[in-house]
Amino acid sequence: MAFSFLRILTYVLGLVGTSLLLPLGIAIWKDETSAIPAFLVPMLSGWGVAITFWLRAHSRPRVFDVQHAFGTVGGIWIAICLFGALPLYFSGCFPSFTDAVFESVSGFTTTGASVLSDVERLPISVNLWRCETHWLGGLGVIALAVALIPLLGIGGFRLIKAETTGPDKAKLTSLIANTAKMLWFIYMTLTAVQAFLLWHVGMEAVDALAHAFSTMGTGGFSTRNASVGAFGLPTAEWICTAFMLLASVNFTLYYRVLTGRFGEVSRDSELRTLLALVFCAVAFATAVECSSWSEIGTTLRSVAFQVASIISTTGFMTDDYLTWRPAAQVVIFILFFVGGSSGSTAGGIKVIRWTILGKQLRNELRRILHPHEVFTLSINGCSGREAFVPVVASFVFVYMLLVLATTLAGALAGLDVFTAFTGALSMVGNVGPAFGGLGPTSNYGALAAPLKWFYMFAMLAGRLEIYTLLILVGRTCFLRNHALFCRTSEKSSEGRHVCFSSGRERARSYELDPHSCGHEDRACIETAVKVGSTEDK
Amino acid sequence: MKIFIIGAGFTGTQLARALVLERNNVILIDNDPERVRYASDQLDCTVLEADGNNLESLEEAGIASADALVTLTEDDEINMITCSLVDAVYPRIQKIARVRNYAYYTAADVARRRTKSAMPASRPLYGIDSMLNPEVEAADAISVALEHGAIGSVIELDADFGITTLSIGEGSPLVGLPFSELPKLDGWHYLVAFVESGDGTTSLPNGQTSLAVGDQIGIVSRLSEISQLVAYTKTPQEKLRRVVVFGADRVGSLLLARQQEKLHVARWKRLFGISAPNSYQKVLVVDRDPDLCRETVERFPDVRVLCGDVTDEALLTEEDIFSCDLLVAASGNYELNLVTAAYLKSRGVKKTIALTANSSYGDIARKLGVDVAVPMRGTVVDSILGHLRGRRVESVHSVCNRRFEIVEGYISPKSPVVGKRLQDIIDLGAYLVLLYCPVTGTSYEMPRGSTVLKADAHVVLITPAGDTRLVARFCGKE
Repeated sequence: MAFSFLRILTYVLGLVGTSLLLPLGIAIWKDETSAIPAFLVPMLSGWGVAITFWLRAHSRPRVFDVQHAFGTVGGIWIAICLFGALPLYFSGCFPSFTDAVFESVSGFTTTGASVLSDVERLPISVNLWRCETHWLGGLGVIALAVALIPLLGIGGFRLIKAETTGPDKAKLTSLIANTAKMLWFIYMTLTAVQAFLLWHVGMEAVDALAHAFSTMGTGGFSTRNASVGAFGLPTAEWICTAFMLLASVNFTLYYRVLTGRFGEVSRDSELRTLLALVFCAVAFATAVECSSWSEIGTTLRSVAFQVASIISTTGFMTDDYLTWRPAAQVVIFILFFVGGSSGSTAGGIKVIRWTILGKQLRNELRRILHPHEVFTLSINGCSGREAFVPVVASFVFVYMLLVLATTLAGALAGLDVFTAFTGALSMVGNVGPAFGGLGPTSNYGALAAPLKWFYMFAMLAGRLEIYTLLILVGRTCFLRNHALFCRTSEKSSEGRHVCFSSGRERARSYELDPHSCGHEDRACIETAVKVGSTEDK
Repeated sequence: MKIFIIGAGFTGTQLARALVLERNNVILIDNDPERVRYASDQLDCTVLEADGNNLESLEEAGIASADALVTLTEDDEINMITCSLVDAVYPRIQKIARVRNYAYYTAADVARRRTKSAMPASRPLYGIDSMLNPEVEAADAISVALEHGAIGSVIELDADFGITTLSIGEGSPLVGLPFSELPKLDGWHYLVAFVESGDGTTSLPNGQTSLAVGDQIGIVSRLSEISQLVAYTKTPQEKLRRVVVFGADRVGSLLLARQQEKLHVARWKRLFGISAPNSYQKVLVVDRDPDLCRETVERFPDVRVLCGDVTDEALLTEEDIFSCDLLVAASGNYELNLVTAAYLKSRGVKKTIALTANSSYGDIARKLGVDVAVPMRGTVVDSILGHLRGRRVESVHSVCNRRFEIVEGYISPKSPVVGKRLQDIIDLGAYLVLLYCPVTGTSYEMPRGSTVLKADAHVVLITPAGDTRLVARFCGKE
């Protein structure tokens, strides 16, 4: 009965539960006694289910096929968002469970959109947990689980593929678990370096750690209402700018730097485009915003921070860009469509996709001038990558559809057109702040509950790059007779399959043709003969 | 010598003919009855119908007493395995295989270099003494001609010296001047190896020879001085910026790879302004095969690739190919190469290089106005002849429609010329000593009349084709 799905789910929950140790420790250290049970109860229950399933585990881990991997990853993400909401809800700082879940989804998807208008009154441990959710969700909890739990190593590549971003997902090492370990090691090191630097220039230790979590996860939650700007530390702002950009670079590039493969880094099309984009955006917006030579330093700092914050989809603020000149605001607006690099913690459409589409456009234009010429599309110095174009084009199409649907939802809930549109961009792109009524100084608390739930879906879809969640939703809601999880029953191997349809949230058995089922979902369903009675296992 | 040739295709029969002319005992083997019949009608040698890779039939034909084995079938693998089989039983026999797959060729080269330093006594890979890759040789020849501005074909003798074939243009100071007067020309320190007059007669020059406009001469010079030769011959010269390569298959792709390597070097040199004038070119490739085009554009991102027919007038005007500086016709269709080169030359392309089937097309190419004709199969026969002339002969290059041969080799200690001065033994008009290098490893020098020939010195001769006795006089028979 969907045993392997639940087992992985419980392991991940156990892992996230373990990560509650950090805010719990802070709560004990800072004497925030009211917050201690809020962390302790979810942690213990997470451990409880994980241990139960670990004790029940007799079978060897199985290799996930593609459909199951997508379903599993979607299911786990929903579950951890709900689980992460528990400490927030139990702490009593959130008016409703919807708000707590919204904050948690916004955290794990690294959006950084808050329902709170005053975060400074929260216990520091709760604030730290908000930022830690960014950090866990940034590189991906499943990648962390694969790195730490050896059981998941087999078939983990499919799971990680469904979780990481970008069109081209490569393994760095021959074993996926080693790749995951390597990426998490790089991620942790960068976080530690940033936390140290922030603490060194004058932030409180807990604030420094929270902001490092938030920056490296490209989330955007802060411990202050006025975000990073509240500290009044120009050096800290520059550090955050630098690390936001570092976090929006493909993490595999750091691995290549560590292994001395600098050639591959300098050839990387995405990195080059990203740097060019950042440079142009900063230069242009600074030129527009700056009114005199004397204030060029402060303007540059502010513009660079906001540009890095938006392109990396972090959402930190030191300045309200709604007060900028329109041309500079448009620069920020354009960056909402861009996003960071693939394989980074940033959201959005991703630079690589625009690079591919741009190269394809250039080829199309040249084809008009030279009809006989043969063109190739080279990415990262490798030519012959034309196969990416339709994949990327359909992704951008579906992304835009989702943005439009979210805009419609916002408008139905009473937002004005521009606010609804930029809000949708911000949600699907996991940015955080938007324009109009949802600007950097506003928050999402006043929205209607149904819109919040829709926004949560949009954030998750954006984080998992839409397909993962669309497949999950499509299978469970619209094609309810399609079994989501199908595996051979361990006890009876003679063509008896136990299928789990999470659409109806209960188990059903199907009697199957023994020759038809090669663990292929479709084959299962098409040849399934429904047994008269439903039996629960 | 008793020589076995496996594969009676075009190259096999051509090689057999050349070897028979030199009075060798040739055994030609092929498993195609039609080819066997044709070859036995044409050639004065033993022709057998058998599988070349069957050791029993080879033994029946008497391989035990053979001196050399040349495998020239269409299949690289059969060529290599046959050599390997024979090597296992008869390691004494010299083995030559044609290997077209570039990967095998380079791998064998690497293997040879590594084992030579590690184990000097070890057998070469598959027992093959020399692998021949006609495509590589043709691509190298084109690449060299291209580098020197496609003014004429260049035979590279070593890293420094080469023989360049140039035509005498209007206003050349060489016209009408007897060769004995040549050293009086300002700055002339070159040697004329052969003369090909406009009416088709060829000769080795002597003191009375003089030149007319339209003649072609082969000049021995340093490779770096080739551009200065043009001051004397007045060969029309062009700067080559836009190059069209027709044909992206074997030779074409090898040529592009060579050009890409050069471009890589040239990029740095260009930065400091020290690159050679023809090292940077915009290359356009035309091929008919869409898959090949795709492969080429993926392999060589710096070149533009057009998929279409080179005879398609619309394509040529659309891409303005008539205004190109150079056309390299390097496709597998040799006749089309010639026709294309001649046609584009007549439509305004400044220089043309054509890959031709064999060296006898050289005359036609010249008459059609093609600047450089690179023979494809001629190079194979040349190399094999070079390998079979005895161990002291390093290489043989045929020139002037196979009427002369340029032979590189070492002087045998038993040779009657050892210890003699050049002016005492020279027979002007019969042969010439072009270059001389007393100590192995140092560079060549131009010989003088007073030069004394030493044993084991490296020497370059030009002799009438097939004159094995003359070569044997210098290099010995072994």
